[in-house]
Amino acid sequence: MEHNNPKQEVPMLKKIRVNGIEREFDDLKPPLTLTELLERLGIDKATVVAEIDGRVVECERFAEAKLSSNSSVELVCFVPGG
Amino acid sequence: MIPVFYEMKNAVIGIAGLGGLGSNVVVALARVGAGKLIIADFDVVEQGNLTRQHYFLDQIGQPKVQAAAHNLAGINDDTEVVAHRVRLTRDNIPGIFSEADVIAECFDLPEQKQMLVETVLTKMKRVIVVSASGLAGYGNSNAIRTRRISRRHILVGDGTSAAKAGKRLTASRVGVAAYHQANAIVEAIVDGA
Repeated sequence: MEHNNPKQEVPMLKKIRVNGIEREFDDLKPPLTLTELLERLGIDKATVVAEIDGRVVECERFAEAKLSSNSSVELVCFVPGG
Repeated sequence: MIPVFYEMKNAVIGIAGLGGLGSNVVVALARVGAGKLIIADFDVVEQGNLTRQHYFLDQIGQPKVQAAAHNLAGINDDTEVVAHRVRLTRDNIPGIFSEADVIAECFDLPEQKQMLVETVLTKMKRVIVVSASGLAGYGNSNAIRTRRISRRHILVGDGTSAAKAGKRLTASRVGVAAYHQANAIVEAIVDGA
């Protein structure tokens, strides 16, 4: 492990509000983007409409949509049938 | 026909997809006296559709937009119907539904639902979208609810009941969801909310 950034050794507590429920990510690699959050939650990004802090993010921009601590994320996940 | 609500007479409503949801949503909206319906679907009526979609035996093989337009004319000839036999995409949705006040998302596949809702919310101004997710199976009517996700997005369904092998779509439960959608649209238009 690299030791040139001592801050990385301390587990960071990152809180992200997802659909009104606060989730804590206390490991060394908390999700930094919407893509990473969806991977952690096991959600297929092709079926989700996502908002960060009230703004809709287009799915092609999920990978660059940054999440900070205390971000509020709304996810509407669609299932088949109509 | 005297419209039930005069606000509906001036309303333009887009319907994206004319399957189990869309074919029933348009029937309710025509009866309530919607002024103009913009309907879009690329598919044709098949025999299997009749288990839940508002078409008739003699319409098998017809484009759904053509069959739906004919059925609506038989319900309320004051409702103008603009039909687009087309596959909706991110690029053509804003143009096809440019006049709409509200758009009903009535697709079957989740990727298409996502595409329609995201496009309306990011590319169109002021338009409300009423989408549906979680309506397969039968029974448990009360699990299907209407929720306001945000100012311009209303979501109908139980959120989880996916259509798949062993959990089919039924007229009785898809109908519950379709009429939730139609009712949310009437509320949004009549109350201006």
